[in-house]
Amino acid sequence: MDIGFSPEETHFREECRDWLHAHVPAEKRPLDAADAIGFDKAWQRRLFDAGWAGINWPTDYGGRGLSIVQQVIWLEEYAAAHAPWIGANFVGVNHGGPTLILNASEEQKAYHLPRILKGEAIWCQGFSEPGAGSDLAGIKTRGRIEGDELVINGSKIWTSFAHVADWQELVLRTEEGSLRHKGLSWAICDMHAPGITVRPIRKMSGQTEFAEVFYDDVRIPLTNVVGGLGNGWKVAMSTLSFERGTGFIADQVKQSHEIEELIAAARANGMIKDDRIAGHLAQLRAEVAAVRAMTYRNISEVVRTGQPGPEASVIRLFTSELGQRLERMAVLLMGEAIIDFAYGDDDAVGDYLRGFAATIAGGTAQIQRDIIGERLLGLPKSR
Amino acid sequence: MDLTPNDEQIAFQTATTDWCREHMALEAARDRPDGLWDQLEAMGLPRLTAPEANGGLALDHATEALVFAELGRFLAPIGLLSSAVANRWFAEPFDGKVALALTVEEPGPLRVLDPVDSAAVLLLQPGSVRVFDIPDRFLNQMTRQQHVTAHRPTIDLSTMQSEQGWATTAVWTEDDVRPPLHLQLLAAAYAVGCADAARDMAADYARLREQFDRPIGWFQALKHMCSDMAVRAAAARSQLYYAACALDENAADAAFHVAAAKRLADQGALDNGRANIQVHGGIGMTDEAAAHLPLKRAHLLQFIAPAAREALLA
Repeated sequence: MDIGFSPEETHFREECRDWLHAHVPAEKRPLDAADAIGFDKAWQRRLFDAGWAGINWPTDYGGRGLSIVQQVIWLEEYAAAHAPWIGANFVGVNHGGPTLILNASEEQKAYHLPRILKGEAIWCQGFSEPGAGSDLAGIKTRGRIEGDELVINGSKIWTSFAHVADWQELVLRTEEGSLRHKGLSWAICDMHAPGITVRPIRKMSGQTEFAEVFYDDVRIPLTNVVGGLGNGWKVAMSTLSFERGTGFIADQVKQSHEIEELIAAARANGMIKDDRIAGHLAQLRAEVAAVRAMTYRNISEVVRTGQPGPEASVIRLFTSELGQRLERMAVLLMGEAIIDFAYGDDDAVGDYLRGFAATIAGGTAQIQRDIIGERLLGLPKSR
Repeated sequence: MDLTPNDEQIAFQTATTDWCREHMALEAARDRPDGLWDQLEAMGLPRLTAPEANGGLALDHATEALVFAELGRFLAPIGLLSSAVANRWFAEPFDGKVALALTVEEPGPLRVLDPVDSAAVLLLQPGSVRVFDIPDRFLNQMTRQQHVTAHRPTIDLSTMQSEQGWATTAVWTEDDVRPPLHLQLLAAAYAVGCADAARDMAADYARLREQFDRPIGWFQALKHMCSDMAVRAAAARSQLYYAACALDENAADAAFHVAAAKRLADQGALDNGRANIQVHGGIGMTDEAAAHLPLKRAHLLQFIAPAAREALLA
């Protein structure tokens, strides 16, 4: 075991640092998805043109074909440079693209992957439904096969960036009368197709970032199914493994800067003299260190075996709850200034309120605990 | 960068676990067989990182931490921690077990852990470790009373203790931050093992014990308690690996990473120890069952090279 990097990796780190230093935009990323979309697309395009998009994606589809370790180095430098959140490109870059790389046909990959990397195509995730949240297998949105088309009816909810997206990872029931995990398919849905209605939903932080999506006889080509008709559950699980396994490395890395900023803030306003706060900050700093160690361990596992270990869900749970503890501490350090929070403010309170998503989106903390209990500890399945 | 053990390390780890299961079961922690220390010595366990000139194996701290986490899982003798540190950092090899004194300021007296059949005792001081003899009798400088060195039990049923004065003859390390960090790292490894032991005991029981016609681990209330135990153990173990590598590299921030490992490991051991008893229900509260053993060990470990807030904020 070692925590050192090779000369090649160190050189790569310097390249990342230099480029980011010169190119990170001075302006802040807008908070609302509708306002941010232009910013997100332009920044992603800039990353692509400079060779920083898809660092560990295959070269055939516009990636760099480098190692996942180099991807992590990039993200470490990205966070250190305070580069903007990936925003609307999250789904495409972090789990839509990786799902396609693993499961899609040559045609699907050749069309979609470069568009994702260039920031030309925004993706959203159509998994949750009003009646199927944690119980994902309860999906009711259906796709009727008519000739070489799927005719889609139903609705999805909590779909981040739906109102600005071009494509969607859509999990739907393609076998009539099928139950639970059977008869589902994972399809690429054109968000501009006739019959789609998007109703944006405002979050408690004030942003309009997710939405409800309704499908009324929406027609998409049957060739948009990924991984074969009826294999939707398996493909969806690979999407979730990317989302939960490696999708949040950027967040994990960012925490190491957030804790240092909190300690500096507590020193500056004198609150560190409060024993309780100092103790709490010391604890958080140890936990943030563990997140990096867990991330490195997970990445080492990917390098060794080709996939994240079962402990990936442990990291996801630990990181999301730690993120909320950090956000709560930031708000605590603000004191009564929290009272002045208003929609549109881009401050620690906004981060704190947005942070509630961390233990809900992508599988609730409760579901993550079920997974850890069942897959890691071998406890009986509750469902 | 690689934070997963290699094949050789995994083999060593597995062999240690297998040996412990057979010869040093956790359930038998209060009644260790005579000659256990000689067997641990014969396997080289107190000398994994000691120089070859002293009969050591000259392995790295990463391998040592892996092995000590396994030993900690079976509540191995506390004296292994201090012996490993003494054998690593002093030129003159120590003959036999070196007990461990809790940090105390002069003039003492010292609280010595695992003194039975120990020839010397190691004391952690700021920036240094010090080794004293263990005298047969001593004068308590505070009370001016003469004492015969006697052995008493501790809360950890596998560990005895004694008291002794602040001896004047001693050897110590100088100008090297690593010896104290080494002790803290190994104590963290023991605590990681302790957290693992509690987690596994709870999960085993939750799979077997039935109520309402099903294993209690079916219920989310129990399942999630066990999952939290797994999370605490995983976080502490990952940080332990990172800290061991940082110490091997003599990294500038090694002191922080070792302290973080100790903090998380201590918390994991304590919280998992408590949760394990809750998962066991009535039987968990008994002397007869083993559920209390990891908890009691955890309470002892938190006083061995504890992680100071200053180190975590430095």
